[in-house]
Amino acid sequence: MPAPMTRRAFLRLLGIGIGGAACMRIANTLPDPLASSPAPTLVPLPASVTPFLPAQAAPTQAPPTAVSYPDLVVARGPTPEHLVRQGLAALGGMPRFVHPGARVVIKPNICVAYHSYEYAATTNPWVVGELVRQCLAAGAAQVTVMDSPFGGSAEQAYAISGIEAQVQAAGGEMHLMRSFKYVATDLPQGRDLHALEIYDDVLNADVLINVPIAKHHSLARLTLGMKNLMGVIRDRPLMHQAIGQRLADLASRVRPALTIVDAVRMLMAHGPSGGSLADVRQADTLILSTDIVAADSYAATLFGLQPDDLPYLRAGRDMGLGQSDLGAMRIEELRVGA
Amino acid sequence: MAHEAGRRVNPRWYTRARWVVQILALAAYLAAFILARRGTGLPAAANVFLRLDPLAALAQALSGREFVAGMLLSLLVIGLTLGLGRAWCGWLCPLGTILDVFRPSRRRVRALAAAEPWRRVKILLVVLILASALLGGLSLMVLDPLTLLTRSLASSIWPALDRIVLALETGLYRVPLLAPLVGRADSFLRPAVFPTEPLPGRVALGFGVLLASIIGLNWLAERFWCRYMCPLGGLLALLSRVAFVKRTVAPGCNACGACTHVCPTATIRADRQFASDPAECTMCLECLPACPRQGAMFSAGTAIAPRMAYDPKRREVLAALGGGLAGAALLRSQTATPSASAHWVQPPGARENNLIGKCLRCGECTRTCPTGAIHPAISEAGLEGLWTPVLVPRLGYCDYSCTACGEICPVGAIPALALEQKRLTVIGVAYIDKDRCIAWADLRDCIVCEEMCPVAEKAILLERVEVTRHDGSTVSVQQPRVVRERCIGCGICEYKCPLSGEAAIRVWAPNIALPL
Repeated sequence: MPAPMTRRAFLRLLGIGIGGAACMRIANTLPDPLASSPAPTLVPLPASVTPFLPAQAAPTQAPPTAVSYPDLVVARGPTPEHLVRQGLAALGGMPRFVHPGARVVIKPNICVAYHSYEYAATTNPWVVGELVRQCLAAGAAQVTVMDSPFGGSAEQAYAISGIEAQVQAAGGEMHLMRSFKYVATDLPQGRDLHALEIYDDVLNADVLINVPIAKHHSLARLTLGMKNLMGVIRDRPLMHQAIGQRLADLASRVRPALTIVDAVRMLMAHGPSGGSLADVRQADTLILSTDIVAADSYAATLFGLQPDDLPYLRAGRDMGLGQSDLGAMRIEELRVGA
Repeated sequence: MAHEAGRRVNPRWYTRARWVVQILALAAYLAAFILARRGTGLPAAANVFLRLDPLAALAQALSGREFVAGMLLSLLVIGLTLGLGRAWCGWLCPLGTILDVFRPSRRRVRALAAAEPWRRVKILLVVLILASALLGGLSLMVLDPLTLLTRSLASSIWPALDRIVLALETGLYRVPLLAPLVGRADSFLRPAVFPTEPLPGRVALGFGVLLASIIGLNWLAERFWCRYMCPLGGLLALLSRVAFVKRTVAPGCNACGACTHVCPTATIRADRQFASDPAECTMCLECLPACPRQGAMFSAGTAIAPRMAYDPKRREVLAALGGGLAGAALLRSQTATPSASAHWVQPPGARENNLIGKCLRCGECTRTCPTGAIHPAISEAGLEGLWTPVLVPRLGYCDYSCTACGEICPVGAIPALALEQKRLTVIGVAYIDKDRCIAWADLRDCIVCEEMCPVAEKAILLERVEVTRHDGSTVSVQQPRVVRERCIGCGICEYKCPLSGEAAIRVWAPNIALPL
């Protein structure tokens, strides 16, 4: 008669089984970026549909109060920090967006770990640093800066871009995005995509500030504010299949309170990674708006393009995410001294 | 360690001290393994254990025709062995400690008397390894205990642990109150211990089973690996014959046989009057507390240990010598199949540096690679290059800003290149499979390969062409093309290609027929 299995034997068998299964999963890790259905076991964390927009700052309509702000501020001048300060002041100042105790997430473009900011593949470090300072001055409890590079590791990209040094000097915190923090999220207004895995900290921030750098891109033509939001989702290759509508679908759910397009140095070709100073044009310009579509529309003109040349701006406008008619906007242009 | 009358230390303390040293050494080894990850800035500390290995030092010096200064550290182990015999095996070797932790109770192990002659295998392995090294072959270094353990950790245990930790984190993060704690714990673990993205292990199960099998042999005979197979143990066994301190039997011995039951390598035998062979004794001191009458002792002396029946015969040594030379030559002449070697993409600079004749097969580069690109070769490098590093771009790409593998390599088989030099080093060439590429096969824009290409003048060009579809309509598509002169073979295009399974752009071994 066989002896009954002991607890120890059972546990050992269980351990071997789990270890074996873990090994099998690792052994079979050819990346399969298209197989991207959200895991059914993930419970979406509760989040309001548009958590980033303060009530008085809906991007598509004029503010209801007597105070009226421009739809778009374009600041030009040689010192990036001054552009941020003056530009924000023209929009009503940071306290309009950041209330005391707010948790702020700043999303610059730190797409590769290859070159310093001079090569214009990553957002200007002083623009990001000054934004951190302004948020903290407005009473923010926490300002974290994050992106998820596609080339090289995030820790290296943060350092090489120069952004880490400026953010830390300003009192902000660089956050390494972690793969378990993406949560399956519905896109209730999505037309082509109806769900995506989106980074939890971004979904649950009190204020999201989007700070793209203006760059050439072969598929989207330009990388601007809406394209910059791709850094907060897990399945980026998915977006390429219909990049115009899908970027708009993402922007309908992830809604920055502010979009600030960094055109201090613009990458005119060989984007998004760059690597040659011959492709960089110094424009010393910052474009600030609560309306992501409007900010991108103006930035497009810096490359000699019209908003309608960019599929994602057409899609964004059609979904009512913002306006792309530059003629109908109230644009305040500033000249900022050194 | 001979006792002085009147001040007798409880012999149990000797074995306790050994356990403490063993655990500390294993912890130090694991710490070094963790530090080998890029970004810690301590590659020299990470290599300490491999550089203590005299077999690795000797074989690499013979094969590479140069002595790596760091390997002088192995003189410490040689000195230790000349003084105290195979104390490395009993006190310091991380694999030995793992074998001591995972072992059956001593009562359950039957004596393997019939296996005694097999003890010579480890000595013959040393001869084989050093003979092949003379001809530039290091293939058998896969059996060195330190390379074996490091490779198993890097390619199997660590990816598995990473998955388990990630699964725990993913689960616990969704428990409301635990989420902030999980985030904080994770920031300690990543990127210091595990990478921020899950590690791929190409043959994780295979390397896991290999290590498990070596542990499993403990159930046939305790420290089976160390008794019969370990080539480093074999080298130290040769030195131990002239060790200064050896185990001897004191006059107090009453032949009770208690020591024979606790000796992990079973070298204490009743039929030899309870004497032991210094070449087999790991100086574990288990016999001291086991002896009821202080009959076992360790004493100093310059005597050379007598030959044993299981020591290899002269003709066996000559056969191993010839076998090593012939084997190295045969392995060198037996190339990999063309289809496998076509993807033999080596870490930057390794191809021009004769990696195969210098590499210890230790797997430190696999551990340090931040993108999980480097894996032990299975078929790419032929049998001779089994488990030498190969880049597998579909699992990870060579980061344009990284020189970690050259910094960590303990013997300079992967050269330490400056970043600017590495960025110009061609490790492979990308070819597009137009039958499957989205732009050619599906007439749709994709451009991911061009977007990802890290070189300043993109090595992938996009050509906008008008194509006629099946229904007569025309469509405008951007088709990618590789500019041979610019491609360095980093493989990020292959890694990021959105097709499932095999990518539509693949990196091949550099084409020697074409000037690069």
